[in-house]
Formats: sequence, structure tokens, C-alpha cells
Amino acid sequence: MTPRVRLVPEPRSPRLVRREMRDRTELLTEAVGALPPVYGERWLHVGERAYRQFEPGRSKLSAGLVRGWTGPLPAPGESWLYLGAASGTTASHVADLLGPEGRLYAVERSPRPFARLLALAERWPNLLPVLADARAPRGYAAWVGPALGLYADVAQPDQVAIVRTNAELFLEGAGAPVVLALKTASMGRERDPAGHLEAATRELASFVDLVPSVRLDPFHRGHFLLGGRLRGGAGGPPRSLRPVTRAARPRARRRS
Amino acid sequence: MATAVVVARLGELYLVGPDGRARSFPRAASRELPAAALPAGLERELRTLPGEVALVADEPGRAEAISAVLGRRLGLATDETLRSARRALPRVARTAERAAVLAHARATLERVLASPEEVLISLAREEERFERAVGREQRAAEAFLAPEQTSLREYAAAWAAVRASLERHHERLRDRLAEQARRVVPNLAALVGERVAARLVAGAGGVEALGRMRGARIQLLGSRRRPSPERGPRFGVLYRADRMEDVPPDRRGAYARSLAALAAIAARADATTRADLSPRLVARRDRRVEQLRARRP
Repeated sequence: MTPRVRLVPEPRSPRLVRREMRDRTELLTEAVGALPPVYGERWLHVGERAYRQFEPGRSKLSAGLVRGWTGPLPAPGESWLYLGAASGTTASHVADLLGPEGRLYAVERSPRPFARLLALAERWPNLLPVLADARAPRGYAAWVGPALGLYADVAQPDQVAIVRTNAELFLEGAGAPVVLALKTASMGRERDPAGHLEAATRELASFVDLVPSVRLDPFHRGHFLLGGRLRGGAGGPPRSLRPVTRAARPRARRRS
Repeated sequence: MATAVVVARLGELYLVGPDGRARSFPRAASRELPAAALPAGLERELRTLPGEVALVADEPGRAEAISAVLGRRLGLATDETLRSARRALPRVARTAERAAVLAHARATLERVLASPEEVLISLAREEERFERAVGREQRAAEAFLAPEQTSLREYAAAWAAVRASLERHHERLRDRLAEQARRVVPNLAALVGERVAARLVAGAGGVEALGRMRGARIQLLGSRRRPSPERGPRFGVLYRADRMEDVPPDRRGAYARSLAALAAIAARADATTRADLSPRLVARRDRRVEQLRARRP
């Protein structure tokens, strides 16, 4: 008989669960789609639910969570915009966190990874891929609906500026979550990673109320996760965009 | 001031009037930009707008196109205007939105992948993969057919047939690649050879990206070792460039350096002016080869 699996949901995003094991803690997200695995990740079936292992070595968001990210996370029922989705490794997990009622608009510029992202989107019901350059949001605005949050992993020298133009166009209202996986290696070699982080923090702080950033070493060298909530007028997002709140879901604790 | 906004959403065009109400004007057949195909209803509607209503569009290209049709200057909507106009649009059902976005994604991907440049990159990657695989098979077969393995001799004929067919395929692949390279990057192909030119484009990610690179970067494209101040790599893809074998081995680094500088010029020409510089570049390359051979002690 297999031992009972104990999964602890994360309060900020209940579809993200921690699995406490004797020697380590694993992160998993509750899958929106069905098997086969998206990029070879492990799946865990508990009752009728399927969870996918969210490995810090593969995803900057997961590494950030392992390193103690205290900022906002995608939550069920929300619509998020994802810049730099590549072939969809992290994007599939973000889509998992948004749940079947949520939507993830995933923007990617490069056609080859996009082909894989598109193949994933065909079987991942809340993932909406857009082949476009995140630098020119007007070019793809027709295909992206209003978004509540923004996650960016674009690895470009002007990554903060890209986040800003997209946030200004798509995010509705103050308090919208903004999360940026900063790759300092694409910002030139004139400064060291700490210097880049400081510059990016200063730039981002001009329009976002930041939470403490986290270093993603040793999972991703020279990367940081930073972000917070969009600054602006009073009040949260418009009513139409608030997440779908459901009555506390019965926690399935069937034996597996 | 009253403003009317032309907004596209999921392949349809909307006009959000000064009253904040949105009207949709379905586009006939194509869901694609450019916006040159203005729906007749929308054009009529725009012509009846009073002159004091400012008219703006969501995108520079669309503003341009509608201006040309209407003979009236359209501005670009500010972020704030565009956001409020988008809020006025009717809500789209989840399944309809998903179907439209996926169809658009498929169409744009197909269009992008069909461009000559992307075809060249695909061919270059395929040829590289194929060459590696064939080389691996070759070594395996040589071990397999070693003289002491006489009991397996009977398989040799069968394997030779397979190999011949692989080589035929490789030949065809190389021909297509060469033709495509001569079409997309003529100067570079003449200078370093078609296959290397294609691999350079694939390594850079595109002709434009290659055209922006300096010689030093081109020299190391495709190299495996990490550049370090003490002992860096001297070549990447360029090691297999034309005329590399004519240079004595200890001077190949120097040749790669010169060739990379010329390749940068060729790539820039291919990415921008498309002028034919190849005779001059090839002459300079050949002069350099002679120099390097002459200087041999």
C-alpha cells in the first residue's frame, strides 16, 4: 500500500501545493490539461486530481518560490499576461495556477519555440498563445483580453521597459500583480548582477510597489525574481476582473 | 473633446463612438492584418462622423491604412483611450475567444515559418542534425564491419543499401540548402560557402540579427568552448568555411579572424542593401589565403 500523500496548498494560490517529504519539499501545480507530460515533468495523481511537479531548476517562478518569494502569485480564475512564454514550460504551470476558469495570454516572439507552445495550447484549455514581439504591444492587443496580472520572462536588455509598456496597456487598475524574472546576463557586462538588479529595481519601483526581490541562484545563475503590485489610483481592479471566487472547495482527501 | 476609436479585437473591427458604445464591423474573409481591407459599413460610418470628433485607431498601421482610405488624418489612441475603448467592447465567450486566438496563432506561425529566411534556418538545422546522425552511423558501421566480425558480413550489403539511400537524401538536402542560401544570403554564401552561411544565419537566429553582429561575434558563432581571456576558441561554424583547408593549420585562427570580418560585411549587405559585393569580398579572401600561405616559415 502506498503511503498517504500529504499536500499543503499555498494560501496565495491554492492550486499550488507543497508536498512535504522526509528530506525535502516538492512544489506541484494542479494540472489543467491531461497527460502526457508537457516537458517530461513528473505527474502525481491524488484521487481525481492530477498534479505536476514544478521544478525549480526548470522554471524561474518555481525557483523564486523555493527561495521565498513573498509577492503576488497567479490565483484561480484570474486572467494573466505572460511575456516570453518560449515553449511553455513555465507558462503551463502558470496556466495551472489560474485554473480552468482563468486565462493565460502567452506572448512569444520566436517561431520555433512558439510551434511547441501552440501544440501545448491546443491541449491546455486556458492557454492562449500569441506570436508577437512583446516590445510592440499595440501589434497584438487585438488578441489579448484585459489582464489582471503580468508575468514577464523576456531576457532582453530593455526588459523593464517592456514590462512597463505592457502593464500600462493591458493591466486594469492599481494593485495589479506584476512579476518579472530578471536575467542580468542579457543586460550587458558593464555591471555585475547586483548592479543590474539595483538599476532594474529602481526602474520598476517607479510604477510598481515592490516586494523584496529574491535571488534565483543556484537554480538560475544571475537571475532574480522581482515585482509587486502596480501603483496607481485608489481601489482595486474593476469588479468584472476580480477573480471568480468559489465557495471553499471540498478538499478531496481520498486515499490514493 | 469627443473621440471615436477604431479597435480590433479577435479579428473583428469595432468603432467605439464618442458615446462610449461599441459597434462591430465584421471583416469579410481574412482575419489578418493589414487593415487595408476596411469593411464597407465601417467606412460609411467613419465618413458620417462629424468633423469635431477626433478619430483615433489602436495601432499605427491601422491608423495609416484608414487615413489613406478616408483622406483624413487618424491619430494613435493613447493607452488610456484605448483601454476605455476596449472596456466598451462586448464580452467574448470563452470558447469563441479561444478558437479565434488559436486560429490566429496557427495562421501567423505558418506565415512566419514559410518565409525564405525561416526555411533556410530549418534546412540548416536539419542538415546539421542529419550530418551528425549519418556520421554516428558511419562509425558504428565501421566497427560493426571490422574484419574479425566475419559472421556479420552478410549484413554488409543491406547496410550499404541503407547508406546509399541516406546519402542520396543528404545530397538532396544539401542542394536545397545551397539554393536557399544563395537566394537569402548571396554575398555570405559566395564568401564562406552555402552550408556555412546557412549555419551562421541559423546560429544568429536570422539574417537581420547576423547583419547586426560584429566580426568577432561571427567568428565564434557555433563554438563550443566558453570564451576566456587565457584560452578561448578560435572558430565555431567558420572552421568549415570555404578555403579553410588551403590555409596551414597553425594559421587557421588568423584566417578565421579575417574571414569573420569579411563575413560581417557580407552579412550586413545581405541584411540591408542586398548589393552584390561578392566578387570584391572573394578577391580579398583569396588574397588573404595567399598571404597566409606565403608567410609560412
